[in-house]
Amino acid sequence: MDFAPTREQEMLRDMVRAFAESELAPNALSFDEKGEFPFEALKKAAKLGLVGIINSKEYGGSDMGHLARMIMIEEISRVYPPLGFYFQTGQIGMYGLQNFGSEEQKKKYLPPLCQGDTVMAWALTEATGGSDASTLQTTAELVGDEYNVNGRKVFITAGETADVVGFVAKAGDGTNLLLVEKGTPGFTTPRREERLGLRSIPVSELAFTNCRIPKENLVGQEGRGVRLALAGIGAVGRPGAAAVSLGIAQGAYEVTLRFAKERNLYGKAIVQLQAVQFALVNMNVETEAARWLCYYTGWLLDQGKSPGEIGPDIARAKLYATDVANKVCLKAAEIMGGYGLSPEYQLVRRLRDALELLPAAGAQDVQRVIIGGAIAR
Amino acid sequence: MSLNIIVCVKQVPHPEHFSRITLDPIRQTISREGIPAVINPLDLHALEEALRIREELSGKVTAISMGPPQARCALEEALAIGADDAVLLCDKSFAGADTLATAYSLACGIKKLGRFALILCGNETIDSATGQVGPQLAEFLGIPHVTSVIQIAFEQGSSLIVRQALEEGYMKVRVKLPAMLAVAKGINQPRLPTVWAIMEAGSKEMQIWGASDIGATQDMIGLEGSPTHVTGIFERDTTRRREILEGPPRQIAKKAVNRLHELIAT
Repeated sequence: MDFAPTREQEMLRDMVRAFAESELAPNALSFDEKGEFPFEALKKAAKLGLVGIINSKEYGGSDMGHLARMIMIEEISRVYPPLGFYFQTGQIGMYGLQNFGSEEQKKKYLPPLCQGDTVMAWALTEATGGSDASTLQTTAELVGDEYNVNGRKVFITAGETADVVGFVAKAGDGTNLLLVEKGTPGFTTPRREERLGLRSIPVSELAFTNCRIPKENLVGQEGRGVRLALAGIGAVGRPGAAAVSLGIAQGAYEVTLRFAKERNLYGKAIVQLQAVQFALVNMNVETEAARWLCYYTGWLLDQGKSPGEIGPDIARAKLYATDVANKVCLKAAEIMGGYGLSPEYQLVRRLRDALELLPAAGAQDVQRVIIGGAIAR
Repeated sequence: MSLNIIVCVKQVPHPEHFSRITLDPIRQTISREGIPAVINPLDLHALEEALRIREELSGKVTAISMGPPQARCALEEALAIGADDAVLLCDKSFAGADTLATAYSLACGIKKLGRFALILCGNETIDSATGQVGPQLAEFLGIPHVTSVIQIAFEQGSSLIVRQALEEGYMKVRVKLPAMLAVAKGINQPRLPTVWAIMEAGSKEMQIWGASDIGATQDMIGLEGSPTHVTGIFERDTTRRREILEGPPRQIAKKAVNRLHELIAT
């Protein structure tokens, strides 16, 4: 058993931390207030090889693996969770293209995605639910060489920003995973959802009205759409959500610790008060525990385990890290008092972001269902 | 023109953790134990400048450091940022070196490396800030040096025009190659390593040389070769002493002036 990070992973962490501190930290508050997609930061991250971190070099990726991705998303989210969250979802699509896409699809879409020139979204959820794919209403009917798509998707991260969206639709007896490009006639993003957190990554509704999509936009095998979409969510989306949560917990813990060292009460810094110290200790221990669950998941994926084989491990990381992120942020708000809820102290945005992670990539109870299914067997 | 450029880097305690540095009164050194280490920030500017020159004129960038085995990490980082190869001068007999013994050891290592056009280093380090190693190194090698360099321009032939920052303004200096330049912060914005470069760094060459490998004379290196003797080490009292002057404004002003006179006199 080897818990030591490799030298490459250490250098990656240092690099991402330096990037986040210099490029994201000074703007985090204004990004959040404006609610605009951080295109410039994405491009800079892409130049460093962070966007294509699980894509092969052949298509412009840097191919450092899933554990490296966890570290990268953690460090980005420690400073600015919304960009980490874009990696959580955008990279599902990039993983899907890499693993299930045709050679033409990989060549066409992956290089500009890895370079940060384009943005990708992944759309499974509909108004009837996200995790129960049997209720899908969107249809793709093959007419000649095209699919005629009708239906709606909801809560799609970066849906209106994306240049290409991977989505699932019912096709005959099965489901198909298809690609739709921005601007395709019949494809619109009619509504942007008002969100509490992760405000600079828009969440949108997608509408398909007799939208014609060429047959070659089918990703993977006909009829296996949901399976492929869930494989992407399992291998990339859920671990990504865990890593975003971990980063939020770490960031909130650090903000609170700094505050507790500076804030004086009864003639000494409040970090010296045992009640505050114990709360900080709990934050520290739980964040560290979440970290190892997250890293273990990344390591398992790097060992070639399929998301199906390690579903409960991934679910554990997402469930626990997201719980910890919320717990840490709430406790931080207690310790910091009124300051904690003032935007300039950088806690309140993290608290809002942590709440957004609860339903992301499978709600907390969905994770419990997965783990429960494994232990009750 | 193809240039061999040598960049001197030093591993120093991470500035964010300076508050955790303690003094060791017995060994009369600062204790860095458990404190994460980084490349001295100004050395990153030196490396960046070397990489820019290489990109413009072609050539090779070699990073060199003297330090304990863990200084290897600083060189690995330099390789990831873009250096072509690296040399670590590492030997127990180098321990306890002051600036002169360090400069001598580096000079021996650089002589072993062979021909070079330019040596770049940071103007000073954040942990000791003497700014002496660069100039001393140049003297050992018998080459010209300029400190506080904020701009480097190549001339036809084998000379440079460098801009040296002064307290007020700057001075332009013509320097013949080979030369040693100690760079200051304003010279450039150091790049970060990319993921691709981080993954390639491990396959680049790093040599580790001891004192005998570089032909260093024993009484010129380490503690023995260091004419600097630390006679005491203490933490400076940085407590701010406040005085509150009260009374009508005129009186306060008068008191303040008198008080300032007293303080200047002491």
